Amino acid sequence: MLDLKGYGWMLWQGLELTVLVGLCAMAVALAVGMIGAWGKLSRPGVGRGLAGAYTTVVRGVPELLLILLVYYGVPTLIQDVAASAGYDLIIDLNPFVAGVITIGVIYGGFTTEVLRGAYLAVPHGQIEAARAIGMDRTLTFRCVVLPQMWRFALPGLGNVWMVLIKATALISVIQLEELMRNADVAARATRLPFTFFFVASLLYLAITIVSMVIQQRAEAWANRGVRRA
Amino acid sequence: MKKKLMLMALSLAFVAGATVATAQTKVTLGTEGAYPPFNWIDENGDLQGFDVDVGNAICAAASLDCTWVVQDWDGIIPGLLAKKYDAIVASMSITEERKEKVDFTNKYYNTPAMFVRKKGSGIEINAASLSGKAVGVQRATIHENFLRDNYGEVVTIKAYATQDEANLDFLAGRVDLLLADSVALMESLVDTDDGKDSEFVGPEFTDPRWFGDGVGIAVRKGARDLRDTLNAGIAKIRADGTYNKINAKYFDFDVYGN
Repeated sequence: MLDLKGYGWMLWQGLELTVLVGLCAMAVALAVGMIGAWGKLSRPGVGRGLAGAYTTVVRGVPELLLILLVYYGVPTLIQDVAASAGYDLIIDLNPFVAGVITIGVIYGGFTTEVLRGAYLAVPHGQIEAARAIGMDRTLTFRCVVLPQMWRFALPGLGNVWMVLIKATALISVIQLEELMRNADVAARATRLPFTFFFVASLLYLAITIVSMVIQQRAEAWANRGVRRA
Repeated sequence: MKKKLMLMALSLAFVAGATVATAQTKVTLGTEGAYPPFNWIDENGDLQGFDVDVGNAICAAASLDCTWVVQDWDGIIPGLLAKKYDAIVASMSITEERKEKVDFTNKYYNTPAMFVRKKGSGIEINAASLSGKAVGVQRATIHENFLRDNYGEVVTIKAYATQDEANLDFLAGRVDLLLADSVALMESLVDTDDGKDSEFVGPEFTDPRWFGDGVGIAVRKGARDLRDTLNAGIAKIRADGTYNKINAKYFDFDVYGN
């Protein structure tokens, strides 16, 4: 059995934080993705332009850079501006909130595209039929489009989740003691890098396997009522 | 109404934060927590190490109320600039490049370069005793330069790509001595099972001409009061023996240098 030299609890705590940040960030990403997809699918105008700019920028810039910008860059900028105006201001951003929002907003960009694709995969004739029998736009979306969107979106969303959970390893640069950071701390204190990084990789793999099982169930649920080929 | 109250509370919080920061009796120190024996986190989750003990001693000597924040190395200077903490006590070497971003206190240590010999070999560090001996050193390092400039005439220099290779050849008896950073040698050889027959010998070399300015505490540019206070603290613990006690707890040689 692997000897963790008393650092096992630290890995466990890191795992908890990693999962917590991942789940919160995924919730933010879904909310942002819904708004983004709505913007991208709307008629040409300000909303569509903004959504387009958002997905382009966020998907094009490395995550680490955005995290550093949000947590260090923005407060430093505001503090410097305040200092030049004669105020000694300290902006204390909570690292958990900053991490969740940054990762959520980044993966919201990918979620936007997944949801947009899922919406477009619902046959347009069904929407026209729903409108023809007198359903309004909200009801059409809730009862006709959304249930089928899940079916098309789930594989893509599962993919976003898998990438997102690994991206949480980046937030150690903003003082969050997630799994990767704690594995590094334990590895360096005990000089057993292989042991701790091996255990950390097993823990990441465990998250992924559990996620896959849940995703399969969710897909089975979303596909209920669809005949299998 | 509720919103207004929230805004008031928020602005009050900012004002409170601002006054505490200018009072300067409370100081937040940032460190890495992953660089033993200078700073690391033990199995209870507590900060340990030479940096931490020295930092606490300086705070006590300068009557500062210090708290520690642990920060990954990659974000350690941005965190200081973003005021997440007021000073970095994390074995940060004083370099010209870093001086463009932050100010440094005087050094609080400068680990010397030292020779290591086999126990019982009787080699001393002087020209007569060193004559004809083979010395292993890592290639393209300040230590190789120091060796060439000072003992190049008398010894045979064997340069290796890594310190580990030099150590292996030393253990195999192919070189008589090693020269490298004392802490690096202690961690990789002298304090290990393989190196139980090896020992440090001779003076501790810290001449800035070869070995730089050592390790200092980084503060934000223009934080003169804090830097002066910390410098006074360093001077005080050097003078009253606190520093030497901490030194002896971690190392069996002097890490301050000259």
